[in-house]
Parts: sequence; structure tokens; C-alpha cells
Amino acid sequence: MERFIADLVQGLDSGKIDRREFCKSVALAAAVYGAGDAARAQVQRGFKIIGINHMSYTCPDYAKARNWYASVLNMKSEATRDDGKRANLMFGPEPGKGGSFLVTRNPGSVASGSAGAKPGAEAVIDHVCYTIPNWDEARVRATLKAKGLNVTGRDGSLHVYDPFDYDVQIASAAEENAFRR
Amino acid sequence: MEGFVAKHVHDYQNGRISRRRLIEILTLAATTAYGGEGAGAAESPGLDAALVNHVSYTCPDFRRAADWYSMVFNLDQIGATARDVALPFGKKGDKPYGVSAGDVPLTHVICRTRPVDAPPGNGSTRRQARAVIDHIAFTVADFDRERAKAQLSTLGVKNVRDGGPFSVYVNDPFGYEVQIAGLGVTAICGAEARAICSDNR
Repeated sequence: MERFIADLVQGLDSGKIDRREFCKSVALAAAVYGAGDAARAQVQRGFKIIGINHMSYTCPDYAKARNWYASVLNMKSEATRDDGKRANLMFGPEPGKGGSFLVTRNPGSVASGSAGAKPGAEAVIDHVCYTIPNWDEARVRATLKAKGLNVTGRDGSLHVYDPFDYDVQIASAAEENAFRR
Repeated sequence: MEGFVAKHVHDYQNGRISRRRLIEILTLAATTAYGGEGAGAAESPGLDAALVNHVSYTCPDFRRAADWYSMVFNLDQIGATARDVALPFGKKGDKPYGVSAGDVPLTHVICRTRPVDAPPGNGSTRRQARAVIDHIAFTVADFDRERAKAQLSTLGVKNVRDGGPFSVYVNDPFGYEVQIAGLGVTAICGAEARAICSDNR
């Protein structure tokens, strides 16, 4: 227990965890210790998240979506995974090194283990925002306009609709950053 | 035009694009290059999406959702308002995994409660989407399926399902499907790679 708390303090001092998380962790450790199992406290801290692995996007025509995201956001379609019903579109870091991908799929193309798209869900991801590095307002707007898109939003944080009216946000680091809310 | 064709043929021969995609690209190029739309039409560059900046997750009770994601993925909640809160994938000053560019911030989830047809940040009426992101997968460090299942059980997460050998599926408190995977699950899972990454996404 002492070592566990010492590690937490070190994390707090170094800024790796904030005060709130520190308090929660200590309280949790104390509760679990009280139950006779201090080791469980560390297990219960949850996963260490690295990033978004992929997003599964179901739409009426996966190829149309594939072509749009490849064209507008330079995503790279992985040819070996295009089976005529779905495609994997890579972006960001290399695959296996933090890269992400968007799976565009037709209705009925459901990953094994997944429940697939179900109507009536209580939660929805209503838009996705992508970061564009080296943001140049004029260039970004001109690029989107050249694609025939109607661009809305504010400088540094723009919105367009994809072919299936899904809201896609495109932003700079300066305008969309969790720590500058 | 020749350079454009050569590039895509090279991609095709190296397996980067399918035969069908090559045909689509070249057909589009051939029909627009000299058609009065400008020779550069087929080569009109897009924008380089470096990373997901954020996903906007809308649900009936954003605090409950945020607490769940905080617990399962060890995320801080910052910038809370009466209607939303952000959960960045790291601490202030951290860089996103695998990203070298200096102007790419940490990805974050915004948990919010608002009408699903709320305006998209610009005052206009939100269109009714004909597409849905039916699940999202998060990459976590040191993923091991059986250990992950035990960890989720300890956290009180129910209905954990296998998603191939290298991922699991769960549902959040609002029934939204969440996949948890390791770095080995990538967009590239051809026959030669199936031994090292999941074919089930």
C-alpha cells in the first residue's frame, strides 16, 4: 500500500495525474484495502488509452463514403480490406504505431462480435472532428471549396457534410484543443 | 497526366490500391483532364487528416457517460459546463502517441447532452444524417484479451464480448458499443497478417 501511494504521489508531483485523480485513487485504494485486497486497487484504475483505433461508419453506399474521405481528408484505402461491402481508410501515424482508420461499410456488413448499427440507441456520435496540421485558413477553405463542399463554421474550425449528411468538423490545433476549452 | 497515371499504377502494382480503385481513379482522370474542368481536377489535393481531434458523443446524461469513460479508460474530465465535458487522452503537455507534428493536440471525447438535431456549431439546422458511427474502438496499451476481460469485470462492466483474439466489445451505460483493442489491430489485416492482428472489426 505504501509503495502504491508513493507512486501516486510521485505521479502527482510530476504532473502525470491531477489532484482529483490522486484523491480518487487513494480513496479507492483505501476502500479496497479495507476489503482485504490492496492489489485490486491498481487493477481498477482502468486502461491506459493510446488513441482511437477505428470508427465503424455504416452508410447506404460504402464506396461513395470511401471515395469522399479519401478525396477530402487524404485517407488511404487499404486495398486488401476492400471486399465490396466495406473499406478501411487509414490516416494519421502508421498502422500499429498509433494510426487510426475509418471503416466505411454498407448496412449488413457487421464486424464479428459487434452488434452493428442499431436504431434507437440512447447515445450517438453526432460528429467527428479531424485535426489538420500546418493549418492555413485560405488553403483549407479553398481545398474544401474545390471539392464542391459548402463550408460553415469559424476560422480554424470548419464544418462540412459528407455525402450522407454526416457532420464532419475540420480544425486546427489552436481552435480545437481540450485544454483550451 | 503521365506522372499521375504512373503514380497510381505504381500504387496498384505495390498493392496499395485495388484494381477497381485504379480503374476508378484513371477513369475519373481521363474524363476530366481534357474536359474543360481543368487538367488538375483529378489531382485536386485534399487535406491531410493527422488525427481525430475529438468525437462528439451525445447522450441523455453526459455526466454519467463521462464517469464511465473516465473509469474504464482512466481519463480526466476537464472544462466541464452545464451541458458537456471533455476527456482528453492524456495530460496537458502530452503528445499524441506516434505523432511527431507539433500542432496536433491530444484526441479527446466530448460527452454532451443536447438535442440530437442541435445546430452544428454554426447556427444552421443540422441535417438528418443517413450514416451512423455504430461503434468506436479505442487502442489501449499492453492489451491482452483475457486480462482485459478480467479488468472490465473488476470495473463492473457487463456484457463483455470477444472481438476476435485481439479485442473485446462492451457497451457503455447508454448502450453504445465500444471496442477495446491493442496496437496490433490495424487497417491492414490481409491473409499474411492474420496471425498478428484481428480480422474482426
